Amino acid sequence: MDSGRAALGTTSSSGMSRRSLLRAIGTAGVGTAAAGFLGACAPGTSSTPTALASASPSSVSGSATLWFNDDDLLKVFRTVVPSFTAKYPKASVKLVGVAIDTKLAPALISGAGVPDGSFLSDGSVLGQAAHLTDLTSQMAPYRADTVQYKLDTNTVDGKLVGIPWDTDPGLLYYREDVLSAAKVDPASLTSYDALLDAARQIKAANPKAQPIPLEQDPNLATQWLMMLVNQQQGTGLVDADGKLTIDTDAYRKALTWIKAVADEGLGARSKFAGSAQIAQADGGTVSLVPWAIWYNFLIQSSFKKSVGHWRVSQLPAWTTGGARSGVMGGSSFVIPAKSANPEVAWRFYEHAVYSPEGYRAVFGSNAVYPSGLNTALPSVKSALNGTSLFKPLAGLGSTSLWEVGTKASLAIPAGYRIPSWFDQAATTYLGANLQKLMDGKMSVDDVIKKSVSDIQTNLVDRS
Amino acid sequence: MANLTWKAAAAKPAAAPAPAPAPNSDSGPVKRNRRRLPREWWVGYLLVAPFFLLFVAFTAYPMIYALELSFSNWHGAGALRWVGWSNYTYLLTNHDFWSSLGNSGVMWLLIVPAQTLGAIAAASVLTRSRLKFKKTLRTVVILPYVTPLAAMAQAFILIFDTDFGAVNAVLKFLGGPQVGWLTTTTWSKPSIALFIMWKTSGFALIIMLAAVQGIPPEVYEASALDGAGPIRTFFSVTVPLMRRSIGFFVVVSTLGISQMFLEPFMITKGGPYNSSTTSGEYLYGHIASSDLGTGAANSFLLVLLVFLLSLGAVRVLRSKED
Repeated sequence: MDSGRAALGTTSSSGMSRRSLLRAIGTAGVGTAAAGFLGACAPGTSSTPTALASASPSSVSGSATLWFNDDDLLKVFRTVVPSFTAKYPKASVKLVGVAIDTKLAPALISGAGVPDGSFLSDGSVLGQAAHLTDLTSQMAPYRADTVQYKLDTNTVDGKLVGIPWDTDPGLLYYREDVLSAAKVDPASLTSYDALLDAARQIKAANPKAQPIPLEQDPNLATQWLMMLVNQQQGTGLVDADGKLTIDTDAYRKALTWIKAVADEGLGARSKFAGSAQIAQADGGTVSLVPWAIWYNFLIQSSFKKSVGHWRVSQLPAWTTGGARSGVMGGSSFVIPAKSANPEVAWRFYEHAVYSPEGYRAVFGSNAVYPSGLNTALPSVKSALNGTSLFKPLAGLGSTSLWEVGTKASLAIPAGYRIPSWFDQAATTYLGANLQKLMDGKMSVDDVIKKSVSDIQTNLVDRS
Repeated sequence: MANLTWKAAAAKPAAAPAPAPAPNSDSGPVKRNRRRLPREWWVGYLLVAPFFLLFVAFTAYPMIYALELSFSNWHGAGALRWVGWSNYTYLLTNHDFWSSLGNSGVMWLLIVPAQTLGAIAAASVLTRSRLKFKKTLRTVVILPYVTPLAAMAQAFILIFDTDFGAVNAVLKFLGGPQVGWLTTTTWSKPSIALFIMWKTSGFALIIMLAAVQGIPPEVYEASALDGAGPIRTFFSVTVPLMRRSIGFFVVVSTLGISQMFLEPFMITKGGPYNSSTTSGEYLYGHIASSDLGTGAANSFLLVLLVFLLSLGAVRVLRSKED
């Protein structure tokens, strides 16, 4: 709204002729149209990932510019730089804070201002694959030491285009005081049926309770659904061939469970980290939270009364002996095909992600996070199987987040892939239908049928 | 040179009854002008060159490229694939496209008439009445317009939160219902419209204040002498004399609403169930998923719509002037 007014802000309010109006409309029109062609500069020429030639460590030299989001993680990764330059004295890296979500795609498409490497959410990697360096050969020595699903999310046409960074496993956070008052044994929460029974029991003890959060943000709710589905079938929205995997038993089972939570009044409708959700969780209305590891951010930063009463365990299983975790979020590093110094970028990421020195600096105690980075976990198996990188969380009482979280990271099923159109599916189609289901306005079958039809027509067929 | 030409022509009016030659006729002095052109022809081109270079670089080329893109399938990499009218037919037969236009249309209906009338009334009161603290009131009304959008959106979300918002707290105190202002399809659009009116009413007031202050006091005196009361004066004097400013504001608002993106994106993210997804937000969806061909086609359809709407508004205004 403001942009249109700003475009016309200098136009006189009196005596507006048709010509001046048309001129103004032209200006506004260009503004509108401009939004539609980020690729007004020359389109990218590469259509498949370009391979990176390998160089010996002693010959690594030069400088690389690496993009991070302008947040605490940038500061954390800066602590890795001294050990990197000690290892590669002829090389230097400049870590820059950039709004990656909005600036990386235009840079890759236009070829102007391309960084040598960038942090990127897993959901965006495959959409940019054509502009990225093929890192298959560089990553070969590390494949066996990497959680498989992270390799899958970064693979397109058999080529690895991203360096997996973190895993964000699904865990079950719960209020031990609320469960204790309702006489629910936390050890019994090993299946989703048991979780539903526990929620009923808690509601019976306190009719105002709505133990399980039902996310109101469509995108985040879809990511939550992906966690429940990935836990069962490995895939999320699509398989390795890009075919939709929505009309499956796993979706039906997860959606039926969500519908039961909603229909029985066991779900609290609010947005993650919103004032409503904080009050619900801190006040005991919400007490069973199957969510990604990063839910503990709220326990550490937003909750007051309930701090110390939260505990964490692995997710329940959908079937006896089934996986006890699923994926909900995560990021990787990419090296653009037009990088001026891909070798230095690769060496930095290799050092930060796979060397004990690197991942200890990132996840361990540091100036930014004195207790360590505990809202995500490494994707490196040897790190996950090693000693705890961060300190125990006071807000979680006696439970060990490291022990529970690493076990969950290693349990995430393989096969997860995030299509380039995920966000649109998650907000406009499946996400909107899921919200209707949670509000009791759509059946499970209708959600599946309509989502398959909408996504196939509007996204898959047009990609 | 023009003055010399006119002097030469004016020097012999009595001797020559024929009308003085126009500067661009084939008369002698003008011919002398043209003979000098070859030496100076490049000056004009030089003066306009910066504009043309910028125009070609930032308007003409991008427009032509976007037009080509709108007939192509391109996701940001590789060669463009020509798909003819496919992107346009897809959009014109797509329920979501029309739904987004419908949402923008409803927003227009909720915002523009109320905001226009409200701004005219407020401008009249702030200009003509004997209110105390008029300058303070003007500042208060204009303040939201200069406040950052993100801060206001966050405050608005808190105020209208279903469970913890101030509005529902007041309603509860009065025994009213708890309304899902931002979470129900019934209220999401009116809530966003209210936010936009809150945010932009200062701009509307600036326009209308300038217009009201431009009306000569004698007109009001004459109106009073004729026995017109305040309401009659408002509708028969104030509003007609502000027609051009009103037209300007309506056109600018229409342009703004047709491109509206940030407000619904920040407050409801287009929800619930896409009920507040505006045409600008729908367009953004194509770009965000790298479907740039469809995004370009969507842009041109919006440009065409805005062009037609604005042209219509100007014609309506002109017909009233005639």
